[in-house]
Amino acid sequence: MNAMNDDDTLDRQLRDAAPYIDDEGFTARVIARLPAPRREPRWLRAMVLLGVTALGSGVAYLLSGGGRFVREGVIQLSTFPIWLLLVFAFGCGLVVGAFAVIFAIRKTPEVRDLGRLRF
Amino acid sequence: MELTDAQLIARTLVDDDHYAFAELVRNHQSTVRGLLRQLTGSDIGLADDLAQETFLRAYKNLRNFRGEARFSTWLYRIAYNCFREHARKRKELVGIDEEQLEREHDPQTVDPALRHDLMHALSLLPLHERTAVVLCCQNGLSHDEAARVLDIPLGTVKTNVLRGREKLKRTLAEWGPN
Repeated sequence: MNAMNDDDTLDRQLRDAAPYIDDEGFTARVIARLPAPRREPRWLRAMVLLGVTALGSGVAYLLSGGGRFVREGVIQLSTFPIWLLLVFAFGCGLVVGAFAVIFAIRKTPEVRDLGRLRF
Repeated sequence: MELTDAQLIARTLVDDDHYAFAELVRNHQSTVRGLLRQLTGSDIGLADDLAQETFLRAYKNLRNFRGEARFSTWLYRIAYNCFREHARKRKELVGIDEEQLEREHDPQTVDPALRHDLMHALSLLPLHERTAVVLCCQNGLSHDEAARVLDIPLGTVKTNVLRGREKLKRTLAEWGPN
């Protein structure tokens, strides 16, 4: 047995000594014990989503008096000075962009972990 | 193209794709089963039963995996919980099986004598030190990750790894040639 010089040597030898365990049907046995997969086809999910969206849009259209508030809003906007519309559009863009960045960071562990890096 | 763990998890969740989950099992079965063999004192049958239970629990709770830790770390935690529950039920921890250790030898990468000495010395450590050493030194988890897997304070993990390493070195030195 060689003398252990340092922790790194010991760790490396421990890693090398750990045998790779062949699957030998292990995965198949696990999969056989899983509950049966859902049989709901993709097209059905898409149709349900489309149907609910169409229904919601129809109800919103009827409840808003045939979209009258949208027409009135556009007419009102057209009376505003152009610079105010530009500022408004820029502000909306900033808010949406900020939310997009926040959600992207929350969903991406690699980016989120950047804050923990030590240089 | 080989898919990442995150992609395989997404496919499993969205499409209930058993092939994707099978790929996850294949990718991680060796380390999970290896960890459980260490914890059970090389009781291969028991370790594989617990490993199966680990992957079944992982499948059922996959929606709770938030990607804050590595998938392997999350699996180790489930495996360790399975082992603890089993140990609690039996109220005992099984000892080392020398014959099974002998059968696990793979002489291609490491000197067989060194492998045997290492694995045997490892099996002689107290369970809490052995677990910490296996997770941190053998499977490459950080102390922080191991603390999360074992649900114990970070300082305790560091102490267990330090003591485990020292005992391993001492044992191996005693067994070595004079």
